[in-house]
Amino acid sequence: MKALRWGATALLILAALAAIGAHYVAPAGYEHQFRESPGVSPSAQHPLGTDDLGRDRFARLIYGLRVSLILAPLAAALTTLMAALIGGIAGYCGGWVEGCALVIMDLFLSIPWLFLLITVRAMLPLNISPESSVFITFLLLGVLGWAASARIICAGTRDLLKSEFVWLARASGFSGFKLLRLHLLPNLRGTLLAQFWISIPVFIIAEANLGAMGLGVAEPLPSLGSLLRELQNVVTLRPEPWRFMPLLVLIMVVSCFQTLLNKNEVRT
Amino acid sequence: MKRFLLFALALLVGPLAFAQNGGELRFCINSEPKTFNPLLAQDDNSEVIRYLTAGVLLRVNRITQKPQPELATGWKVLDGGKRIRFKLREGLRYSDGTQFSSADVAYTMQQLMDPALHSTTGDAFRSAEGKVTAQAVSPTVVEIAFPAPVANLVNLFDTVAIVSEKSPQKETATLGPFYMAEHKSGSYILLKRNPNYWKKDAAGRPLPYLDSVRLEIEQNREIEALRYRRGEVHLINTVSPAIFEKFTADDPSLVRDAGVSSDTEQLWFNQSPTASLPDYKRAWFTSTNFRRAISQAINREDMARVVFRGHAKPAIGIISPANKFWFNSKLKPHPYDPAAAIKLLQQDGFHQENGVLKDRGGHAVEFSIITNAGNRPRENMAAMIQEDLKKIGIKVSVAPMDFPSLIERISDKLNYEACLLGLVNADLDPNSQMNVWLSSADNHQWNARQKTPATPWEAQIDKLMRAQSSSADNSKRKQYWDEVQQIAWEQEPFIYLVNKDTLVAIAPGVKNAQPSTLRPQTYWNVEELALK
Amino acid sequence: MAALLQTRLTISYKDKTVLREVCLEINEGEVLGLVGHSGCGKSSLALAVLGLLGMKDGKVTGSIRWKGEELLTLKESAWLKLRGKEIAFVPQSPLSSLNPALRIETQLAEAWKLHQSGGKQECQKAILAALENVSLPAEKEFLRRYPSEISVGQAQRVLIAMAILHRPSLLIADEPTSALDAITQSEILDLFSHLNRKLGMSILYISHDLPSVASICDRIAIVNDGEIVECAPPQQIFFAPTHAFTRRLVAALPSMPQMPEKRRGASA
Repeated sequence: MKALRWGATALLILAALAAIGAHYVAPAGYEHQFRESPGVSPSAQHPLGTDDLGRDRFARLIYGLRVSLILAPLAAALTTLMAALIGGIAGYCGGWVEGCALVIMDLFLSIPWLFLLITVRAMLPLNISPESSVFITFLLLGVLGWAASARIICAGTRDLLKSEFVWLARASGFSGFKLLRLHLLPNLRGTLLAQFWISIPVFIIAEANLGAMGLGVAEPLPSLGSLLRELQNVVTLRPEPWRFMPLLVLIMVVSCFQTLLNKNEVRT
Repeated sequence: MKRFLLFALALLVGPLAFAQNGGELRFCINSEPKTFNPLLAQDDNSEVIRYLTAGVLLRVNRITQKPQPELATGWKVLDGGKRIRFKLREGLRYSDGTQFSSADVAYTMQQLMDPALHSTTGDAFRSAEGKVTAQAVSPTVVEIAFPAPVANLVNLFDTVAIVSEKSPQKETATLGPFYMAEHKSGSYILLKRNPNYWKKDAAGRPLPYLDSVRLEIEQNREIEALRYRRGEVHLINTVSPAIFEKFTADDPSLVRDAGVSSDTEQLWFNQSPTASLPDYKRAWFTSTNFRRAISQAINREDMARVVFRGHAKPAIGIISPANKFWFNSKLKPHPYDPAAAIKLLQQDGFHQENGVLKDRGGHAVEFSIITNAGNRPRENMAAMIQEDLKKIGIKVSVAPMDFPSLIERISDKLNYEACLLGLVNADLDPNSQMNVWLSSADNHQWNARQKTPATPWEAQIDKLMRAQSSSADNSKRKQYWDEVQQIAWEQEPFIYLVNKDTLVAIAPGVKNAQPSTLRPQTYWNVEELALK
Repeated sequence: MAALLQTRLTISYKDKTVLREVCLEINEGEVLGLVGHSGCGKSSLALAVLGLLGMKDGKVTGSIRWKGEELLTLKESAWLKLRGKEIAFVPQSPLSSLNPALRIETQLAEAWKLHQSGGKQECQKAILAALENVSLPAEKEFLRRYPSEISVGQAQRVLIAMAILHRPSLLIADEPTSALDAITQSEILDLFSHLNRKLGMSILYISHDLPSVASICDRIAIVNDGEIVECAPPQQIFFAPTHAFTRRLVAALPSMPQMPEKRRGASA
């Protein structure tokens, strides 16, 4: 098990390094169209071949990985922060505050948020740059994804409030922010961390879903999601296994996060 | 001797024998037909049923693009296009046995022109206010009169299904090669051979060869391709370049490139005065030099080669050379010439600063192209335009969106800058382009529903379009239409990108197929098709 | 001598009354035992005196006088100054009453900082003094431990140390020994009487275990059916019980417990 975790960490670090150093690792720019060789098989020049427009698949994969690996954790952090704040306050205050917050959370969980995302995404100005579009996409994911985590945080806070050490803390004169900071938050840290780690792969996949509908990252910037769109015609795909690389990398990244997540859960 | 005779007979029949096995031809339609009334058919799927079942007075040959006799043995256009007389075949019967006569034609026209029916097929005949009258002169001669000359009058009858006046089965009694036998909603439609069909092959054998045609309702084009590959269906009318490539790699005999089609793919800028655009952008988009420069900066050859893998030709203008009669052959392809594009832009005061193109007012030139999400070729074309225009310092963003949102933007809200879409030209005749080229038309996309033409050239096109529409003389009409094509070529309100090839899939077991670039591409001669 | 704490209270949850007109009086330096069946409302009384009953949706009516001042009309901010500083609380289950996410040192230091303003050294000194008073090793190593790394007995001592950090006038101990084994139990009991004697702290000792109460208390109040049926010095409770319930309670004991020598003139 330990070896597995080390492996996962190593793989993630490798992926992160490749993504960060994309400029040096990639054989070409992600948008450069080799128009003389569209859709070619892997070669020394194009390790994963080229796509329909002659763009180097390997370069696009690395740049796509960069986009997903940088922005998904940011969105996850945002979501966790919002969940901690809203869930924590709801659980701490209890009563009608909690009731209201729970209703809002239920609302957020029950609305088809993918649909909401599409709507919001469609309202963006058309001239938006690819960089902003991807940023906004993840921002939306982060802003919209807090409800499930907040529910867990809220329940966790409520349970903690009933716990004996919180009672004792109250009996010792702790209250309000000090109680929250010293006695609630440190004990929610595990939950928050778990929510954070869980959110990362969820967001990577959510972006992939959006990308598959053409609503993720704008051309020509790649993301793991937009690269997966190529697999949509899977029924008629030629036997070109290298086309599955983005999927493989996505699975790899997600399962690495999953492996690390398990470790984190064990610790807390 | 007797044996020898038999042998000789076998020799004679041999080449035809395979064509007589009957059998069931299968292909997919993408959804339920909206109607089975041939007079009301408007959507693609209803038209498929009409094409396979209905008898028509004449048919436009999909290869020669010329009308040829069907129920009518001959016709004559009279009074400069205000009247047409048909001479009909004798002794024909509907699928249910009812006799066919000129009264049926008169009845059909009367039904078709009934305002209560709202038939779009009928609308094409409404050249002016007034009544369309049809009169059975004799059992084999019928005359139809119109209040004003009708352009393209003869070819219009290609879509008029002749229904029976007397048959108890009403419009389900057919004169075509098949009749509808079974319909399982959402699943399939079964058409059976019409035993009373009049046509015979060269050897005098009754047509059609096929016993039945089974139309499978299948929305997903990928699954359609898969079913074709498994041999479950025999035809696909249009396959995507990607599937074409894949099939070619598997087995070249699975698919055929029937040549360049009349469909167009085009880019246009929003020139509407009511659009929510900054003034400087409207100034770019309404400038002929700007549009021509963009057109010259786009590498159409690359587009045809990369996006369509060579199964497309750089577009020249409104209609493609596939439209043999109406294409203006004097027009030449737009050259790819970024240097010339920059010169043109300089005439308008554009200049480059650190590789960024700026207009007179110092605004960096950038615009967005919307197109329908999920259409890979269009998204790829947009990505290529993005790269091409980057070379002359223009920043393009590509915004794919779902089709309803796109339509809302281009026809209602007008909140877009440029749009990349295609146009299907099912009809060869310029009259079918009236709803695009008249400045008052709804589909005059770059600036629709104008009260008065915004530019002199649009005014000129209006004049020419009206002129061709009110004339029945095709050579004159050709002159008008050539001029429209010329103006459109110079002004480029639509920047035509490519004409896609018609890529069809016809199973090797289907005999006598003659794929055409016109619909229905694979089975337009369905009565002659046979299965091995 | 004016009573430190004087109560005359009725406690109810929703429509169920658990304590009726309970009159108690604790004098300075006195150890008062409160004995009754589990669930008879003894702990509710402790919560009421700490002003925390509202958190459990309980309702108190009547009066609680602390050094002559009425507590029931006190504002929450005034309560916060009282809890932990004047009235300290030692809970029932030691391990779950410590915050599992914080080191022992942090918990003690934070409890100290709550009511004292002073530098790190003063804090350190107070903590070491408190540890000494509860016979815990005043070592850095011990202080750096997490609650999961110490024994139950040590945990209870830590809790007591925390309670006496501010030298409160009254220590409320709610079944402080019920989770402990017999030896530790007697050690803790000794500790309580030691604290009482050395620091002069009054103690309200709540328990269902009559013998252990008897060994340290000056007076014992017997609660039955929501009322105090008898309140007297241990000798009287054991040898001349007046109430039938007390008699049954005493009769149920396997053997007579050891009586403490009568220390001061506390009388019924």
